[in-house]
Amino acid sequence: MKELKELKKIEKYVDQCMKCGFCTYFCPVYQEERVETSVARGKNYLVKLALKGEQEFTDELGKILSKCLLCKRCVVNCPAKSQIDRVVVGARAQMVNEKGLGAIKNFVFRKVMADRKRFTRYLKLAKAFQWLLPRTEGNIRHLPDFLKALGAGRNIPELAKTFLRDMVKPAYRPEGVKEPVMRVGFFMGCATDFIYPEIGLKLIDFLVKRNVEVIVPKEQNCCGAAIYFSGDFQTGRLLADMNADAFRDVDLIVTACATCSSTLKEYEKYLPESEDQRKRYEDFSKKVKDSMEFIIDVLKVDPKELKVREEFKGKTVTWHDPCHLVRYQDIKDQPRNILKNLEGIKYVEMPNADLCCGMGGSFSVYYYDLSKKIAKKKTEGIKATGADVVVTACPGCMINLIDNLLHNKMPQRVYHILELVE
Amino acid sequence: MEKHVIEKIEKIVGKENVLKSYEERKCYSFDARAQGAIPDLVVFPLSSFHVSEVLRIANEYKFPVVPRGQGSGVTGGAVPTSGGVVMVFTKMNRIKEIDKENLIAIVEPGVITYDLQEEVKKYGLFYPPDPASHRYSTIGGNVAECAGGPNSLKYGVTRDYVLGLEVVLPTGEIMRTGVRTMKGVVGYDLTRLFVGSEGTLCVITEITLKLIPLPESKATILAFFREVEDAAVCVSKIIAERIVPAVMEFMDKASIICIERANPIGVPENTGALLLIEVDGDRASVRSQVEKIVSVLKEKGVSEFRVTYDPIEAENLWLARRTLSQATYNLNPIKIAEDVVVPRSKIPVLIRKLEELSGRLGIPILSFGHAGDGNFHVSIMIKDEPQDFKKAEEAVREIFRETLRLKGTISGEHGIGILKADYIDMELSQEALSVMAKIKKLFDPNNILNPGKIFPKHILSG
Repeated sequence: MKELKELKKIEKYVDQCMKCGFCTYFCPVYQEERVETSVARGKNYLVKLALKGEQEFTDELGKILSKCLLCKRCVVNCPAKSQIDRVVVGARAQMVNEKGLGAIKNFVFRKVMADRKRFTRYLKLAKAFQWLLPRTEGNIRHLPDFLKALGAGRNIPELAKTFLRDMVKPAYRPEGVKEPVMRVGFFMGCATDFIYPEIGLKLIDFLVKRNVEVIVPKEQNCCGAAIYFSGDFQTGRLLADMNADAFRDVDLIVTACATCSSTLKEYEKYLPESEDQRKRYEDFSKKVKDSMEFIIDVLKVDPKELKVREEFKGKTVTWHDPCHLVRYQDIKDQPRNILKNLEGIKYVEMPNADLCCGMGGSFSVYYYDLSKKIAKKKTEGIKATGADVVVTACPGCMINLIDNLLHNKMPQRVYHILELVE
Repeated sequence: MEKHVIEKIEKIVGKENVLKSYEERKCYSFDARAQGAIPDLVVFPLSSFHVSEVLRIANEYKFPVVPRGQGSGVTGGAVPTSGGVVMVFTKMNRIKEIDKENLIAIVEPGVITYDLQEEVKKYGLFYPPDPASHRYSTIGGNVAECAGGPNSLKYGVTRDYVLGLEVVLPTGEIMRTGVRTMKGVVGYDLTRLFVGSEGTLCVITEITLKLIPLPESKATILAFFREVEDAAVCVSKIIAERIVPAVMEFMDKASIICIERANPIGVPENTGALLLIEVDGDRASVRSQVEKIVSVLKEKGVSEFRVTYDPIEAENLWLARRTLSQATYNLNPIKIAEDVVVPRSKIPVLIRKLEELSGRLGIPILSFGHAGDGNFHVSIMIKDEPQDFKKAEEAVREIFRETLRLKGTISGEHGIGILKADYIDMELSQEALSVMAKIKKLFDPNNILNPGKIFPKHILSG
């Protein structure tokens, strides 16, 4: 029998499922497609057969495994506490071991994203040509039909004029104090670096104003979410090692991207190949804090003392829970605590606030129409609130929310929650 | 299945409503408990016309058709036994009408039961049947299996809410049964024949349901007892006091231990049985029902109890019951589940029998369930080993024998499917089985609709 290295690692999770079908009620993909292969139960069944040697790693299986947002809605509601996210990611890794990554992902993950300089160079090149794409409101480029691979008619964000890494200093020391209250490393993440540098600058500013020293190691790289969630553990490990190394001198790492914080925290779950490596990733993971938990739980900022920025005064604001925040890290009260206490805005809770926005990384590239259907439930929830502004804490969600609000001709603007405050 | 037959079916329902790949088909070879054969094709009809046309083709080419909702059944009712088409109703899921004045809902079979309950709640109405799977099972599946649930003591089971049906006969004719009024005695009651027929006589394509007004409020009581007998006496005494609780759930000692290991809820030591009671009605009546129940509990030796009128706190009291079915898997990986019913007064006899069996065979046997109506979920938890399966088989036979001796029935709500077909003649006489076989033949001369279910092979062929 073939070596099923990655599958063997997830065997105990595969056995958890008792096939009741409860996941069908929570799965955003199933709710649209209503077929068994969309949902955890079907996927788990096929992986179980693969473990028994009764299912090959066919293209069809690959397709089925790719049709998961990894939103974990089924996982947190599973009566058997089955962890289908680990099963899906583990099975994707086995798939990569057996069949390779495919030409496109191989090039993008291994040749471009794993090499920060080259990644930056390619994106700069893309930036130089983005004027070719028609522009719509809000710094959004409308992707014309000839770029079908990225989804027909998709609104993609404009790349920043200057990338964050070209703007930041290696360290920010609070002025006028002898000793900063804390010293943290800032992890920027790709979307913040290349698309929303203002979010990164905002976080740095927010922390420095509160007497936190912020270090920005320039050797930091992509968190690896899109890469190792696709099953490319090899490149994932490379990135994990680079990041662990880049932040070796700090005790805490803060990021404003929910996907990055959860991904950095989970290196230990998927990537280690040896006990040493496991220990190293575990130690690294322990240092990571999402900006929301850092601000409220670690820095203990009193939300009542925060001041809303002038342009948001009088606005009605609603909150979208990123999957990587609410379910991967159980962070849901902290942002609400801020929003409910912020004077000058009206906070309205959104129906289905924790429903996935439909992004799911490469999911939305490969299944753009399906992603839009899932997002439709989100935009309907937004509409029901009557809000002017949608805030969240994940640049990935922001990209998808903006795209779908534009598609539905809705007027709401989308911001990172940090952009709301002084 | 031959290519041209597949093409014919694709032409009817559309390519997007057919699944052909091996991987996709495999995912329709099982339900929540049973493993069956891999179907040749998975078809998602969108109308009774689609169903009818596919069934006509099935009769022409003699392949099996297995109707399926969400595949949440536990006896294999929606699992193919020999290939053919699995006909899945998850895309036929519209609530067509809610008639507030006449308290009626008309739905397609693929509607999720809970979604219907939530929708009618908006109008102050109530559809009571609440199988444990109500969040993820379809109303069509509930009708085909005649699902019950904790509510059935006071409110009855699915059958009591089905007024009429639109069905497609195995030979393809579309037919209506029943009424959309509260009464109706014209001709034979085919509706009742079809409810609980496990998809062997017809394919249900539309259901007319009776609704009732939503009770104004409810209260939940959790009571602990040292002895099973005390709990059983309370159940009978409460009803003798002319109170019909909406719910009276029972849990035996083995179940309680299992829960305390998985999700501790603080059960007092030496607890031998537990009752979860829910009463509903208008506010005044709920209070007086609670008072009467509490005095019965105190009089009949309850060791401790908790009462709440708050729905959120009630959820906490329910937690143990809701997580129990899953928690049983912590004992052993394989569950043989039965859902026998005995007359209320015989509950302690059955429970003692289960304890004796468990001790004698050396395998965990838990029982929990609907004490009010005597319906018990008996879970025999075993390891994946031949001698354990043998012991379980012996236990099942003994449990069924005892159930029948106590004048009960071997299945209250799960149905027979494929998993219990071998036991059906323990309960039904040869005469009854022979009448059923004739009915099956009358409706389905070519035996194409859900073959291999309910009856052991020799009954239909002989």
